[in-house]
Amino acid sequence: MKKSLFVAGLIIAATALSAPLTSSAETGITKDTIHIGMYGPITGSTSVGSLPLFGAAAIYKSVNDAGGINGRKIKLSIEDAACDPNKAISAIKKLVSQDKVFMIHGGWCSGTVMAIKPELARNPTMPFMDLAAASSDISTPVSANIFQPVATTVTVTKTMLDFALSKPGTKRIAIISHSDEWAKSHLTPLLAYMKAHGMTPVESVRLEHGSTDATSQLLKIRAAKPDMVMAILYPPELTLYLRGAYKYGIKAPTITTQGVSIEDMVHRVGNPDATKNLYVFYPLDARMDDPKFKKWIDIYRKYYPKEPVETLSIMGMTGALAVVHALKNAGPDLTREKVIDQLNTLKDFNPGIQSGPLTFTPKVHAGITSGKMIYWPKDHPVIISAYPVTKN
Amino acid sequence: MFAQLIASGLVNGSVYALVALGMTVLYRSTTIVNFCHGEFFMLGAFAVLIPLQTFGFSYAESIVFSLIFLFLVGGAVEKILMRPLQHAPHISLAMMTIALSYLFKGVSRFFFGREFKPLQPLIQGRPIEIGSVILLPQDLLTVGFSLLIVVGFFFFFQKTQTGKVIQAASQTPRGASLVGINVPMLRNLMWGVGATLGAVAGILIAPTTLVYPDMGAHMLVQAFAAMTLGGFGSLPGAVIGALSLGMLENLIGGYLSSSLVEITSYLAIIAVLIVRPQGIMGEWRQGRG
Repeated sequence: MKKSLFVAGLIIAATALSAPLTSSAETGITKDTIHIGMYGPITGSTSVGSLPLFGAAAIYKSVNDAGGINGRKIKLSIEDAACDPNKAISAIKKLVSQDKVFMIHGGWCSGTVMAIKPELARNPTMPFMDLAAASSDISTPVSANIFQPVATTVTVTKTMLDFALSKPGTKRIAIISHSDEWAKSHLTPLLAYMKAHGMTPVESVRLEHGSTDATSQLLKIRAAKPDMVMAILYPPELTLYLRGAYKYGIKAPTITTQGVSIEDMVHRVGNPDATKNLYVFYPLDARMDDPKFKKWIDIYRKYYPKEPVETLSIMGMTGALAVVHALKNAGPDLTREKVIDQLNTLKDFNPGIQSGPLTFTPKVHAGITSGKMIYWPKDHPVIISAYPVTKN
Repeated sequence: MFAQLIASGLVNGSVYALVALGMTVLYRSTTIVNFCHGEFFMLGAFAVLIPLQTFGFSYAESIVFSLIFLFLVGGAVEKILMRPLQHAPHISLAMMTIALSYLFKGVSRFFFGREFKPLQPLIQGRPIEIGSVILLPQDLLTVGFSLLIVVGFFFFFQKTQTGKVIQAASQTPRGASLVGINVPMLRNLMWGVGATLGAVAGILIAPTTLVYPDMGAHMLVQAFAAMTLGGFGSLPGAVIGALSLGMLENLIGGYLSSSLVEITSYLAIIAVLIVRPQGIMGEWRQGRG
């Protein structure tokens, strides 16, 4: 009897001890898998934001093909939020409650990330890696579990205005923007930075998402005679604006955010004269045809051969690589807490994709603080830091 | 600026007019408010784009294909889905068109969900300056073609025997049947014509707005506003309402606030329904014949 009790005691003790070793208690972790939930706009008018999602997913798939992380493969569950905050909330609830993922990596439209922040706050131990949404409100003030591995709207708009002012004689700046959360997240820091330079916009007009005409906005901008136009627009409406600006003879260069890709815009507008003065915030370290990107493009093409390869395609990869780095360093006894700790100590992490290294600290979760601009003067894109003096 | 706002408003209004005209034609002949008309508009644009870019058709061939295809789609919708419901309450018919709208949108999202395709203008060329007004050759084509269709429709309905028969059949379908008019065939024809008009509008505006699965939703609201403004069920009302709406949007955006442009159509609907429910042209059809 005593022997039986002793054996039973040993079994119970062994079970209790082995449980933490296999981390079976941690949500989204099994002996063989790490379950990561992803979401982005796979359908809808802003579905160009699916490209960074596919880029990040390609990294996870390549890690699996290389053997996984500490003996585990990454299992992905991908949801379509279509840039709709309500759909994003539903997607997150599904990933958290039904799929029971370990962490979430997603968000192209800032509005969708802002919409899920309360849900993330209800799950404060679950790591969330932002995919490419740029609103500075995502990481400021800091939430312990939210990390933003892209240039925020503060960085983007500061770079845009510095670029505008690098053109000698620039005094008159007009703004055309949407009125949604994403646009506001750019407008607020832009206006603050302009104020710091003693400037106010000579004209500020709104063009709503889904518009089919921008005549009144274009005429107001033309009447204001701006030196530069800041366009805080999604790709379809930027297309409308650029075509209209060409039609109405608005010569002022257009400066826009990282929400569009220069290749895509040149293709969409279909008129080189209308896009030759378009300057786009550029989040990457080099042009897409630079040999240093070949490795990443090959990974992307291997897993998503039918998808276009553009700037946005590899934009989400840095965040995925940071997640992989943190998962590896957290060791085989994987917990959410350990991953967050690892992310908080990420310093000068630079796989050579984005314009600067990625650094997180417990107090700073906005990891990228620099960027450049790109334009398409003739037949290929050119990266620049200041307005090209030879142009007028 | 005023002249430019008016001119551009007329260009936009011309497209609204075609969409509103298609809906009105259908409403007059069937008393159905077609909520999937925006999707006819969208399908028309895609039906040009696909043969043009995938099958190597010329632009002209693609347009002909699109118009024939949408005519057949309209007819098929009537015969397969609407005719079995012809004696059902209005709400059932409306719900069917709403369901169709989501179906067409869903199917196109399935195939083109992440696509936002550019379509080259029907006429290339530099902007044309007429005094202080600047227009693209595509703008002139849009206005000219819309005008042609509108005049053609008025002529058809007012001056031709067939047009008069269609109007008579829509007003008293039972009576028309008793004198030997094939009312179901006329309704089928009108569904085809309505869908084709939607396609024409889609083809004309697609080079400006790009081609994407959700492009019809916005246009549907504009068409409703135009119909309400002009007088629901009135052919001239639909055109006048559409042109007025196009100009009104631009004037409000230009002189009041650009933030109000997108809500102009809703404001128009609310204002008209309160002040003059019968709209500018004063027609108001009651119930089904």
